[in-house]
Amino acid sequence: MDWLEQELKQALARKEPAADFDARVRRRLVRTTPRWLAAAAALVVIAGGGALYRRHQGEQAKEQVMQAMRLAGSKLNRVQAHVQAMGERQ
Amino acid sequence: MKPAFLACALAGVLFAQQFKFNLDHLAPKASEKVDLSLTANLLQLAANFLDTNDADEAKVKKLVAGLQGIYIKSFEFKKEGQYTKADLDQIRNQLKAPEWQRMMGFESSEDRESVEIWVRNENNKMTGLAILASEATSLTVANIVGSIELSDLSELGGHFGIPKLKKK
Repeated sequence: MDWLEQELKQALARKEPAADFDARVRRRLVRTTPRWLAAAAALVVIAGGGALYRRHQGEQAKEQVMQAMRLAGSKLNRVQAHVQAMGERQ
Repeated sequence: MKPAFLACALAGVLFAQQFKFNLDHLAPKASEKVDLSLTANLLQLAANFLDTNDADEAKVKKLVAGLQGIYIKSFEFKKEGQYTKADLDQIRNQLKAPEWQRMMGFESSEDRESVEIWVRNENNKMTGLAILASEATSLTVANIVGSIELSDLSELGGHFGIPKLKKK
């Protein structure tokens, strides 16, 4: 066995990990996964909530516009009907 | 911060509105009230939700496209005498020529009812409409701001279950 072979054998020799290696990996997994999930969930909730709120606002605005048109239309009708009745009488 | 924001918002409404209503003192006396303040942004938002497959909504959508605002205050009272002639006069006094012209109206002393339609013209174009309607126990004031064609006005008068007037 020459010196090179000896060096390689030493370098590639199986080494046992540190005693807390497994625990450290598990801790990091536990810590990072929920944060990522929480952020994604928060984004979905914010985006969904925003869309729902926008829709609610739009529907409300539509109802108000329809109510405004009904009210204005009825008053306009009232005066038109009166003017027409006056014309028919003459 | 909040009062400043409210002041800016109020200034925006008054700027868009073509005359002041000054009718808030009637609100506590009213049994029913409608207070609509629809700015250009709200009209645009509402237009996105109006269904073009529905005949009435399609017509309203077309009408809304030329408007910058709709402002309405309407009060219903349980008994007579809750508003005065001065309440209407202070609005009439703001509708001055040459911009504002009384287009039509009627007054019935028997029914104590009156309706007036005023139009605002700028550069030979109708840019606003004012409606003053009063009965013994109700008062309605409306300001529709924007470009309103006469054909749209007549369409407005014949929908929502209200019969269209016969054309001679």
